[in-house]
Amino acid sequence: MLNRQLFFCLITGLSVFLAAAEKVVAQKDSVHLEPITVYGFAPERFMSGLKIQKVDSVTMEQFRFRNITDLLSLNTPILLKNYGPGQLATVAFRGTSANHTAVLWNGLNINLPTLGQTDFSTIPVAGFDQLSVQYGSSASVVGTDAVGGSIILGSSKPQAGLQVMIGRQQESFRNNQTLATLKYGTSLNSQWSFSGKTAVYDGRMNNDYRETLRRGIEIIRSKTFQKGLVQDLFFTSKKHELSAHVWLTENTLTTNPQNLAGRELTRIKSSRTMLRYQFEDWVVRTSWVRDVIDYAVGDYSKLDHAVTDRLGIRGERTLEWKVGSSGSSIQVQTGGEFTHYKTQVENYQRPVITENRGDLFVLTRWQISPRLLTSVNLRQAFVTGYNPPFTPSFGVEYRLVQDKPYTIKLRGSVGRSYRVPTLNERYWKILGNPDIKPESGFNKEIGAESVYRLNKIHSFTGNISVYHNKIDNWTYWNPANNFNVENLQMVIASGAELQLGWKGNWEYWKFGSNINYALTKTSQEKVYDAYAVDVVGKQLPHIPVHSGNITMFAGYKWFRITKQFQAVSKRYTTADHIQSTDGYVLGNLILESNFSWSFANASLQGRINNIYDTFYQTINGNSMPGRSFAISLVLSAKTPEK
Amino acid sequence: MRKPLTRILTVTLIAAIAWSCNQSDPAPKGTYVQGVFVGNEGNYSQNNGSISFLSREKNIADIDVFSLVNGSNFKGGVQGYAVAGDHGLILVDNSNPGSDKIEIVTANTFVTEGSIGAPDIENPREVISVGGTKAYITNWGTLNSDYSYPVGYVAVVDLATKKVTKKINTDKGPENLVLYKDKVFVGDYPFSGGRNLSVISTTTDAVTKTITFKSEPNPIGIDINNKLWVQAGLELFRLNADTYEIETTLSISNNKAKTAGHFAMAPDLKTIYFVLSYDYEAHGETYKFSITDTQVNITTPFAKRVFSGLAVDPLQGLIYAGVAPSYTQSGYTLRLRSDGTLVDSVKVGIAPTSFYFR
Repeated sequence: MLNRQLFFCLITGLSVFLAAAEKVVAQKDSVHLEPITVYGFAPERFMSGLKIQKVDSVTMEQFRFRNITDLLSLNTPILLKNYGPGQLATVAFRGTSANHTAVLWNGLNINLPTLGQTDFSTIPVAGFDQLSVQYGSSASVVGTDAVGGSIILGSSKPQAGLQVMIGRQQESFRNNQTLATLKYGTSLNSQWSFSGKTAVYDGRMNNDYRETLRRGIEIIRSKTFQKGLVQDLFFTSKKHELSAHVWLTENTLTTNPQNLAGRELTRIKSSRTMLRYQFEDWVVRTSWVRDVIDYAVGDYSKLDHAVTDRLGIRGERTLEWKVGSSGSSIQVQTGGEFTHYKTQVENYQRPVITENRGDLFVLTRWQISPRLLTSVNLRQAFVTGYNPPFTPSFGVEYRLVQDKPYTIKLRGSVGRSYRVPTLNERYWKILGNPDIKPESGFNKEIGAESVYRLNKIHSFTGNISVYHNKIDNWTYWNPANNFNVENLQMVIASGAELQLGWKGNWEYWKFGSNINYALTKTSQEKVYDAYAVDVVGKQLPHIPVHSGNITMFAGYKWFRITKQFQAVSKRYTTADHIQSTDGYVLGNLILESNFSWSFANASLQGRINNIYDTFYQTINGNSMPGRSFAISLVLSAKTPEK
Repeated sequence: MRKPLTRILTVTLIAAIAWSCNQSDPAPKGTYVQGVFVGNEGNYSQNNGSISFLSREKNIADIDVFSLVNGSNFKGGVQGYAVAGDHGLILVDNSNPGSDKIEIVTANTFVTEGSIGAPDIENPREVISVGGTKAYITNWGTLNSDYSYPVGYVAVVDLATKKVTKKINTDKGPENLVLYKDKVFVGDYPFSGGRNLSVISTTTDAVTKTITFKSEPNPIGIDINNKLWVQAGLELFRLNADTYEIETTLSISNNKAKTAGHFAMAPDLKTIYFVLSYDYEAHGETYKFSITDTQVNITTPFAKRVFSGLAVDPLQGLIYAGVAPSYTQSGYTLRLRSDGTLVDSVKVGIAPTSFYFR
């Protein structure tokens, strides 16, 4: 019953929204309004007031053979919680938990619905073309999980012509990665053009460490095998665009492979598919995602098998009007999303569990003047059984200084956020709680960004943000109640982020450096039992107060040397601060050389990881490996541009 | 320069002689000669258990004495601790397969003397001293893939060589050990599927007898009349410790949803404390009964709460009860009088479950 009601509600709501959006704006049509069609996925468009960091192509190239974990920890203030190399890695974004980061692939949330999070060790940089990191709550734009921030992955449309790329990386510990990409594009007739990308990757981390102990603490042995296929197809005409996207991944992790009785297998297979059709300002997107998790200890003949399917459809309409000739414009995106979930997990209350989820949203972006931009976004989500809170947000950006050698942009945002409880939290036999409430957050932040071009050689960037995020009904697997999950906690995460960058471009020489620093204060604030007083007000475990990274590079013609540093302050490993682990600094050194011919390119990279052989520990207190080496070669060729 | 040097030497020498005369010889030296040791299981995946030390006169404990003395932790949860001869044996359970061990320390100083690990030790559970020259340690062995229990064993540790000299197979999930004269009774973990109480001869280190029960038998202790008390499921049995004849059976409760555990014999050898819980030890009460009772009184609890561990100090008679609020924060040890009133509450390590009194 509820399902049907929800469905009708969504469909009616959606049509009303779509129709109304046009009328409301049309009535104001006294000034000259001119509709404009906008192509692309970019949810970032409606995130004005929020901090968005787009990772540049040079960085993407440098990390091509590595996991997104390495890229994020060396280029953003996001904290990665590592369980070991190639093992589970979750994020703590702005002091929140692993469940509070939305991971979007071409606009679709790909967090595992059973766990409500993504194991970042299963996402290689080879799997996507574009990466943006959005800080702070953006649930009104992207929906559930976007409490601490969002990781936005995307495919980009290849240019016309043919491009071939093949690469291989060889690392210490008998680890290697291979990848191959084919990009193609051509015009089909005077109206239509076609382009696409096919990419495959294969990673083998054997992790054959020479040392098994560091400072007397074990390095847990593990093997990770990773493979994937990415397929993007675009058919484009002036008014239409049809695109298909497929991302198949398989990640097989075995810990303690040497111990036949105690070895542990975790295999995550994800099939993500998407069909997107855009006609002028209408977009319809269908998606199907299947996540299969297999798990076993010792004997692999009987696997703990969990399958979750998500079938989704999303319709939206984006309209943009230019208001007069002052440069003012209004963009409205309104639509709805409906997703059917089906999950089969052995330890759930029922063998097959289905549920429906829906979202209605209105996103607006109003460029009031060339200096002033605002966004008002509204979202209401629906879930079988109960409803997450209504989620509005408001953002504003003001260009304080422009048309000078330097620019200053001020931004601010307030918004609510929510997290729909995971399937585990609701349906796990005995411990799950079907009545658990969605977590709800309230995020406020302000920031400033500046770019200063001193002269033709030197340019500087700066970015500062201050935020305060209160998350209520934070779920807790309560040991005092046999680990039943309950909405017991309230967490306040607040902090500041600072980024400073410099680039110097001479004729042959290029220099640059970039610094990220994050101050994070995050603590549980609600007293829910007599012993919670030992925990309340104390920094959450595993989250350092100070963290940061520095990247410095020097380039001469086709040669480039890069030094990366990552620093993390002392972290408490228990909630009451009786145990802690020391801070550390990691350093990496990268040497790169590019050789170009008219249509071909070769790129050779050598890397020293953990160059100072720093001792540091995983979340569970095991040792991380010391210094290691990697060398990679990428060969690419493309047809000459016409 | 020579003169002052001689003078300094002479003065120092006299002082040293005077000081050494001042020392009383027989009392053993070391910080840990007397007191209460609390075994903390820690958070399993973090391998951060510890042994806390508490003087009977103080209400502040040293949370992790092993780290305090040796500079680093033994990396694992503590399943048990006992002193055998001059040595302390810590049962360390590590979340990584093959990394469990017995950490051996000098009992009075807690200075590490080495460890015994796989394949001799796998999932160690309980330890007792046998005659001061050897120790018996129950081990589950490696659990089967479906988490069922294989037949486990008692590892016999020779304290002189610090080696396991023998593994005595008993039943599934061997757990509690009770020493009586020249034999040791070995029980089974409540969810292991074991049904036999094994009797091991301490002279031959071999099983001489098995006594079968309907549920997993758990030997509690020997009472003042030299009778062995055994709990199996929701029943209590009083056995003749020499003939193994069951003399009395008492029912604890008819409510099958409840579990009885954490049995502790008081030093008077007449009173037994236990926790009756439900919902996987999340809720319940703590009771006590006398060995002469014809029925276990579960109408008036000794304490209206559950504990993660329970033991009675043979020296002072105070009841030590463990409280584990969560696995990411310190636990507490409550000290209670025999009438149930609270003496104090002392912060210890994470998840305190076992106690050893010296």
